[in-house]
Amino acid sequence: MIILLKKEWLEMLRSYRIVWLPLLFILLGISDPLTNYYMEDILATVGNMPDGFSMTMPELAPSDLLIASLGQFQMIGLLVIVAITASMISRERQNGTATLIYVRPVSNFSIYMSKLIAMALLTLVCTIAGFGASMYYTYLLYGGVSTTAFLLLMLFYWLWLLMVIATTITFSALWTTSIAMTVAIVLFPLGILLDSVIGAYWHYSPYKLALYGASWLTTQSDYLWGTCSIVVAWTIFVSLLGIWATGWKRSTTKI
Amino acid sequence: MIAAHLTKQFGAHIVVNDVSFTLEPHTATALIGPNGAGKTTILSMLTGLLKPTAGTITNNDVQIGFLPQYPQFYPWMTVLEFTEMAARLSGLSTKEARSRAHEALSFVGLEEVLTKKTAALSGGMKQRLGIAQAIVHRPAILLLDEPVSALDPFGRRDMMSLLKKLQQTTTILYSTHILNDAEEMTDQILFLKDGALIEQGTLPSIRARYMDPRFAVTFCEQADAQAFSTQHQVELIEKTVFVPMTSYPTMQHLLSFLSTTYAPIVKIEQHTSSLEEIFMKVMSL
Amino acid sequence: MDTLNWALIAPLIVIQFVLMIMALIDIKRIHATNGPKWVWILVVIVVNTIGPIVYFIFGRKNV
Repeated sequence: MIILLKKEWLEMLRSYRIVWLPLLFILLGISDPLTNYYMEDILATVGNMPDGFSMTMPELAPSDLLIASLGQFQMIGLLVIVAITASMISRERQNGTATLIYVRPVSNFSIYMSKLIAMALLTLVCTIAGFGASMYYTYLLYGGVSTTAFLLLMLFYWLWLLMVIATTITFSALWTTSIAMTVAIVLFPLGILLDSVIGAYWHYSPYKLALYGASWLTTQSDYLWGTCSIVVAWTIFVSLLGIWATGWKRSTTKI
Repeated sequence: MIAAHLTKQFGAHIVVNDVSFTLEPHTATALIGPNGAGKTTILSMLTGLLKPTAGTITNNDVQIGFLPQYPQFYPWMTVLEFTEMAARLSGLSTKEARSRAHEALSFVGLEEVLTKKTAALSGGMKQRLGIAQAIVHRPAILLLDEPVSALDPFGRRDMMSLLKKLQQTTTILYSTHILNDAEEMTDQILFLKDGALIEQGTLPSIRARYMDPRFAVTFCEQADAQAFSTQHQVELIEKTVFVPMTSYPTMQHLLSFLSTTYAPIVKIEQHTSSLEEIFMKVMSL
Repeated sequence: MDTLNWALIAPLIVIQFVLMIMALIDIKRIHATNGPKWVWILVVIVVNTIGPIVYFIFGRKNV
């Protein structure tokens, strides 16, 4: 497993993934504090305001900006993560690179877990880079938040990402890249949109884990631990399914 | 390694049908058949990638090396990195893997391009890297799927001499659809057609069975050859007729027989089937 | 506020630039891309931020 993990790491390095994905998260993290701060100037330049028109901007608290950044990560960031994760196992089967690995005594556990651990580390870096950048700008422009709350916010966001990547890698083990990507995009970036529109009717939803995690910044949500358990249980279940699917689909590697 | 009654079915389609054979240690076996005969499927089952629908494979847990017809490498890895990883995945320690990788790569003649990315390799070099990764852990059995068919004549000759060297220490099974390839290096030939084993044996025994010695008699005129062929019921190709040696065991017998005809003859020679013809003959069984 | 604080904006521009340069270097060094290389060079230069990201996800050939 360490051998395969080393291979995943090398691939991340050589494809620059370890650099560009965190950079993207930093950009996303910066954008909200910054655009909100300069909102008045932007409106003044872009919109043709009549003379004497003045608009009172809502007073934003630091936590509002962190939550706004979270929204950015959940849209574009999540889409990109899902897009690169959905091909991790299926692509190697489809282009035949897996064949030379699968004919050796390599367990399904190592194949699946090397992918999961590599992605988990990458998304951890992204979470820290993204929220770190957001926090830094928010701190400069608006003020700080409690350190514990900030750390917990990141932890719960990462936990949610862990569930997303475990599920997506399992899809990749089960199906071809195109099917896995379609299902994962519908389930996650689109699912989260749907949950935010009609999700007022239920409280325990994995999609809401990140928001509940953010609630540490203000008042702690009652549903956090329940939702957290659902997410952890699902992640474990889906990983076991993925390990099984990796073995089940071994023979579909192109020879 | 012993394969007994191997059968593979995809849906209703039977790709491999009740195939049995034995690979003796340090022998080379050629698996021959036209495209689609089930060669790759048999090799996949021997590597463990595919589960047979029926039948068993006994290999006493020895390590296997496998070279697919079109080996695919991670383009971002170097030649040495890939070979080392292959060795590690087959259970060698880091140190062993490094020295064996160097050894295997110089054996196949890639010691000059150790740090080159695999994406930058030519077709022939990729095939050599394919061999290197298949032998790096010193497997007892080497399975090769069409190891030479994608190569040009020079690459083909290099590959055959590599395989001949390997044959001294390893049991080799390779598939091909060209009998001439098999002629160079083989102890046993398995003929495969539509998933079934239709003939097997050593090259001399197969040759003896199918070479079908005949006299080829060429006439001056097509019309004479035609008349001779209809009169004596023998095969005709253009101006040449083929008289079986079973009826006329020596040249004298033939000459005395031919003296009954007065049509001018330009050439008489003994004719044995080429390997291509033997292949066609076996396949049309 | 009439003057922009450039110390705040600069990282944004630097990151976008780094992404672009990294993508361009990769396109030059990689053996092949999905689709012609010049199209990707154009995409990476013209479409800011999204261009390099889309290249990294879909442009790199994996065999």
